[in-house]
Amino acid sequence: MSSIVITGMGVVSAIGIGKRENLDSLRSMRGGVAPVHYLATEHRECMVGEVKLTNDEMRVRLGIAADEASVRTSLLGMLALDEALADAGLTADDLRQTAFVNGTTVGGMDMSEQHYLDFLSVADATSLKHDGAVNPIDYIRTHDCGASTDLIADHFGRFAMTTTISTACSSAANAFILGARLIASGEFSRVVVGGAESLSKFHLNGFNTLMILDQKPCRPMDATRAGLNLGEGAAYLVLESEASANARGAHIVGRLAGYGNACDAFHQTASSADGEGAFRAMRQALQRAGIEPSAIDYVNCHGTGTPNNDPSELEAMHRLFGDGKLPSFSSTKGFTGHTTSASGSIEAVFCLLAMQHGFVPANLNFSAPIEPWAVPIGQTVEKPLRYVLCNAFGFGGNDTAIVLEAGPQPATPSR
Amino acid sequence: MNIYVQAANQISIQQPLCESWLTEPVEHREPFVRAIDPDFRDYVSPVEGRRMGKLMKRALATSLKTLRECGIDQPDAIVTGTGLGSVESTEAFLLDLCQNGEQLLKPTHFMQSTHNTIGSLVAIQTKTHGYNATYSHGTISFESALADAYLQLRAGDIGNALVLGQDVTTERYFHLLELIDYVGNGMDGACGEASVAAMLMADASDEKTLCELAGVKLLHRPTTDDWQRALEQLGVLSDGALADDIVVMSGENGHPKNDELYGQWLSRFAPKNRVVSYKRWFGECFSASALGFYAAAHWIHANRARYVILLNIGREGSSAITLLKR
Repeated sequence: MSSIVITGMGVVSAIGIGKRENLDSLRSMRGGVAPVHYLATEHRECMVGEVKLTNDEMRVRLGIAADEASVRTSLLGMLALDEALADAGLTADDLRQTAFVNGTTVGGMDMSEQHYLDFLSVADATSLKHDGAVNPIDYIRTHDCGASTDLIADHFGRFAMTTTISTACSSAANAFILGARLIASGEFSRVVVGGAESLSKFHLNGFNTLMILDQKPCRPMDATRAGLNLGEGAAYLVLESEASANARGAHIVGRLAGYGNACDAFHQTASSADGEGAFRAMRQALQRAGIEPSAIDYVNCHGTGTPNNDPSELEAMHRLFGDGKLPSFSSTKGFTGHTTSASGSIEAVFCLLAMQHGFVPANLNFSAPIEPWAVPIGQTVEKPLRYVLCNAFGFGGNDTAIVLEAGPQPATPSR
Repeated sequence: MNIYVQAANQISIQQPLCESWLTEPVEHREPFVRAIDPDFRDYVSPVEGRRMGKLMKRALATSLKTLRECGIDQPDAIVTGTGLGSVESTEAFLLDLCQNGEQLLKPTHFMQSTHNTIGSLVAIQTKTHGYNATYSHGTISFESALADAYLQLRAGDIGNALVLGQDVTTERYFHLLELIDYVGNGMDGACGEASVAAMLMADASDEKTLCELAGVKLLHRPTTDDWQRALEQLGVLSDGALADDIVVMSGENGHPKNDELYGQWLSRFAPKNRVVSYKRWFGECFSASALGFYAAAHWIHANRARYVILLNIGREGSSAITLLKR
C-alpha cells in the first residue's frame, strides 16, 4: 500500500477536550462514564460517556452565533476538527485542496427529537412560535447525516469535497478507507477523516429496546459484562500522502499502514459466533499492511461489553493470531462509553497517542476473563508500540479494522 | 482499466423494473407521488416481506434483479447511497418517542432506522462477505457510493460492485421538505422515491453492457473555476464548454431555487448541448441522481447519446458530476 501518513489529529470525548486531556485520562486510568447529566432523557440512572460541555458552552468556545442552527454532533465535530487542523498546521486556504470524509449516524437527531411534533403540526415555516434565537424549523435542514457533516466542514472554510459514511458503529473507521483510496488514486493529496456522534434520546432508547445497555459501568472483555454504555464525541485525523507531508515539512504522527472492511452477513444487530466478518476485516488489514499477525503489538478492540460482541471478536482474534498468541489487547470503551459512529476515529487517536508515548491503555473494570481466552490489559502499562490494530464493528455486520504504524521516530516510554 | 455499467434497475414513480419510461413515461401532476411497486414475490417471500419496510423490499428487488441479469450471486462489494435510510421506521420510532415517552418503545423500528441496514440486508440475503459501506450525504449520497466503488475498481481491488441509491419519501417527510421550501410550493415536478441498483464491472464489456463509467467527481460549494477544473479532469471541455456531442442529464425539477443553479451552469458550460431533465419523469428525492444515472446508462444503451454528463447541483452545496459513455 502506498504510504499514507497522519499529520494531525484532534479528539473530544468523555475523558477530555483535546489530545492532552484524553492522554492524561488514559494514562491515569480516569474514566468518563457517569450517570446521565446533559441528555434530557427519562432514564436518569443510565450510565453514559458524555462530553462534559453543554451545547451553549461549545457554541461559545467555537464562536457560533446564537441564531445559527447547529446540532450537538456538529458542535462536537467542530471542536475535534479545530484541533486536528491546527495540529496539522492547515489553514482555511489549504482546505480547498483537502477532502473531508465524516462518519455519523445520529446526525441532527438530537434537535429533531426535541422539535419533531412542532415540525408536524405547523402549516408553514413562519407560523411556529418560539422563544429561542433559532426557528426550530431550521432543524429540519440540519437533520440528515450529510447536513451535520457540512455544518462541521463549513465552520472552517471550503473543503474541496465532503461526504458522509453511515455504517453505524464502524462509520469513522470506514472514513479512513475512503480517505486512503482518495489519496492512493491521486484525487487528493490530503483527506481529513473521522467521525462525530452526540448522544440522543433516539438511539439511547433504541439500544435500550435491544436490551444491550448495562445499568452499571460497562465491563468489556470481562466474564461479568452485561452490555454497553453509550458515549459521545468526535475525532479527526489528517491523512496525507507522504510526498505532500514531506513537501510542506509536516510533522508525521504515524502511518495508516492497512485497512480491511468485510461484512459479517449474519444478522442486522448481532455478530456471528465465529466472528467471520471481524476475522476477514482484520486479516485484510494485515495483508494490506504487508505484515504478519505477530508484528501487531496491541489490538484496540471494538469491545463494546455486550454479551454478544466480545466473544465473537475474541474468537475472530483467536483465529487470526493463533492459539496462545494474542498480542496485548484492550477495549477503551470503559473510559469513553461506546461512541458509536465516532468510535473508530476516537480510538485511532488513542492508539496513536499510545504509540507516541509508549503505553497500552487499560481495559477498565476488568475482573474475570471470558473463558477460554486470554486476559486483556487491565492496567495501563508502558510498552513501546510499532504496529497497532484498531477494530470498529457496526450493526449490519459492517466490520472494519485498520493498522496504524508509529511515526518515524518511535517514542521510548516516557513518564 | 475501464469500468462498465453492466446492468441497472429501478423502482420509482415510473413503471418498475423496466424501461418503459423511455417510450411511454407515466405522467404525474401531483406534487408528491409514491413509487409504483412491482410484485415482490420474485424477490422476497411473503413471510419475509411482512417484516420489511418498503425501502428494504425495493432494495432487495432492484439488487436481486441486477445480480441475476449479470449472473453474479455474490458481488465483490455492496456500496449504498441513501439520504435518509428507512425513514418510515425512523418516523415510527421518533413519533412513538415524542408522543408516548421513553418507556414502551419497540426495537424493530430502531433497528431498521440505521441507514446501513439496506446494504446489510442485501449482504445477508446473498451471503456476501465482501466490502460493504453506506453513504448518507444528502443529494450526493448515490455519487458518494459510486465514487467509492469506482476507486476500488480502478485500483483493481475488486472486479465488480453493486451500487445502490435508495430513498423513500413519506407523507410526513414531504411536509417537512415543503416547510423548508425544498419541494412542493408550486414546483411543477413531483417529489418521488428512488430505488436503484447498478452493477459496475471492470474490463467486462459485452453486448449486454449498458455503457462505460468514465469518471465521477464530488464537489463541495464549487465555484465556476472548480467546475471548470473538474470538467477538464474528465476531459469533456472543448473551447471552454462541453463538446457538442455530450448530452447533459440535468437535475432541474421545476423549483425556481433549484433550476436557477442549473440555468447558470448550463449557460456557462453547455450553451449548445442537448439537455435532458430526468426529474420530469422520476421526480425529486435525496437519491434522485441514482435515477439520473440509471436513465443515462439506458439512454446511451438505447443509442440516444454517445456521451452523457450527469449533473447534480445541490442547493445545500454538495454537488457531483458523472461521465458516462458508450
